[in-house]
Amino acid sequence: MPSSMTTRPRPLSPNVQIYRPQLTSVLSILNRITGILLSACAVVLVVWLVAAAWGPQSYVPVQAAIASWIGRIFLFGATFAYFLHLCGGIRHLVWDTVHGFDLRWIYISGWAVVAASAVLTVAAWVASASMGG
Amino acid sequence: MDPQNMQNMRSPLARAIGLGSAKEGVGVWWAERVSAVALVPLTLWFAASVIAHTGSDYATFIVWLRTPFAAILMSLLLIALFYHTALGLQVVIEDYVHSATRFAAVIAVRLGCCALAGAGVVAILRIALGG
Amino acid sequence: MIIRSSDQVPHTTLLKRFPIPRNFGVTRESRIGRGKIWPAPKAATRIRALEIYRYDPDSGENPRLDTFEVDLDDCGPMVLDALIWIKNKVDSTLTFRRSCREGICGSCAMNIDGTNWLACTRFISDLATPATIYPLANLRIIKDLVPDLTHLFAQYAAIEPWLKSKTAEPERERLQSPDERSKIDGYYECILCFCCTSGCPSHWWNGDRFFGPAVLLQAWRWLTDSRDEAKDERLDNLEDPFRLYRCHTILNCTRTCPKGLNPGKAIAEIKKTMIERRS
Repeated sequence: MPSSMTTRPRPLSPNVQIYRPQLTSVLSILNRITGILLSACAVVLVVWLVAAAWGPQSYVPVQAAIASWIGRIFLFGATFAYFLHLCGGIRHLVWDTVHGFDLRWIYISGWAVVAASAVLTVAAWVASASMGG
Repeated sequence: MDPQNMQNMRSPLARAIGLGSAKEGVGVWWAERVSAVALVPLTLWFAASVIAHTGSDYATFIVWLRTPFAAILMSLLLIALFYHTALGLQVVIEDYVHSATRFAAVIAVRLGCCALAGAGVVAILRIALGG
Repeated sequence: MIIRSSDQVPHTTLLKRFPIPRNFGVTRESRIGRGKIWPAPKAATRIRALEIYRYDPDSGENPRLDTFEVDLDDCGPMVLDALIWIKNKVDSTLTFRRSCREGICGSCAMNIDGTNWLACTRFISDLATPATIYPLANLRIIKDLVPDLTHLFAQYAAIEPWLKSKTAEPERERLQSPDERSKIDGYYECILCFCCTSGCPSHWWNGDRFFGPAVLLQAWRWLTDSRDEAKDERLDNLEDPFRLYRCHTILNCTRTCPKGLNPGKAIAEIKKTMIERRS
């Protein structure tokens, strides 16, 4: 190949820019996103526990932050993320036993995960409200 | 005649084979599943406990966490949670970070999860055993 | 809402593409520009607009999206018929692979309206308006709709897709019961069109090391063939955090297979075998 001739690199065909979002890929990336969000929540959980362990002076501001209106919005989001990741995770565990791979079952279980997560989130918050929170 | 690979004169088969199979990977996959199975009941218990204790004050919360049942389950939750998190985040980093920084990132995540789990368990023990 | 088989085309869609710019994260040579519009002949009554990805390696220009108006009364019912009509009547430089025109050779695999399928088995009447036709996703493009499949076939060669035996060759056939033969059903039918691999996000990000659904489905085809005597080496070669375990069961592969096969299930079987051999 003569060095005077520069070979133009071949273009890469578009992937995520044009590929259709489908229940398969969307639920999968949601499972990953909720997993990452829950990792952040795990950090908050440890902060909360450590604050509680070191007496009411450290606990009260942390608890107040969580109970504030902005804290509650985050907590609601975290609850939804938790139930999505939990139901999605159970769907993954069923797949690991090599069951439910028929395309019909993939779609039924997918919509079931979305519905169950929404129902469980609302149920959790209703239960919490009825406890006097 | 592929311009992308002109600098790299390896054959396509050599590039597909790469450095060969690592001959391991099933252990990590299994550990993530086992920790997931443990986390299903543990997190459900935690969520139910949080809901049941809505609006309770600091003293009630401490009395509850002092009970051996709550203290043990809470510790197990933290261990399983951070183990699962460390494995999951490592997979995410390997997926998206391809430069050498991935090694530093994986080490940071693993050590961070150990530190947080340790801190959490110490906090629980302090509450459960302390005065 | 519930897709029963991969040939179902969804008619209601929330999102046709992820809400990101068309040239998001794309290298300079891959940016797609606006292209020409080729109107239908004046006498045409039934018209369909197709936006087709074009790339001419000799022109020195970037790829572009041309819009062709196809006269439906003058061409057959399938997308491949429309492409051939365009090549014959409108722009003879339109380049694409094709052979059997009946969904068995795998040559005409491309991205039609956002999902990978064979052009010869996709009805024009199932297309959106305007329809978009891109080459298979995430592959280096030689020209127009022709991708470079060299790396994918090299990954296929890397799993050694042939019968491996250690015992002496039998005088006649290698015997296999009907039950044993049924184990390769659903896997031997793969036509290596690479629709699945090209639609796998994990292969997009790690395609240099992850084998992808097509190759892994074939790997399972050989693992589950009772006549093969090299299961141990095959499993050793697959057990790798990248070659096999980049699969996160996204399942775009099963959704898009134009032959109705199930690569996701094949990969799950391989992972299950990995656990079984060490327990």
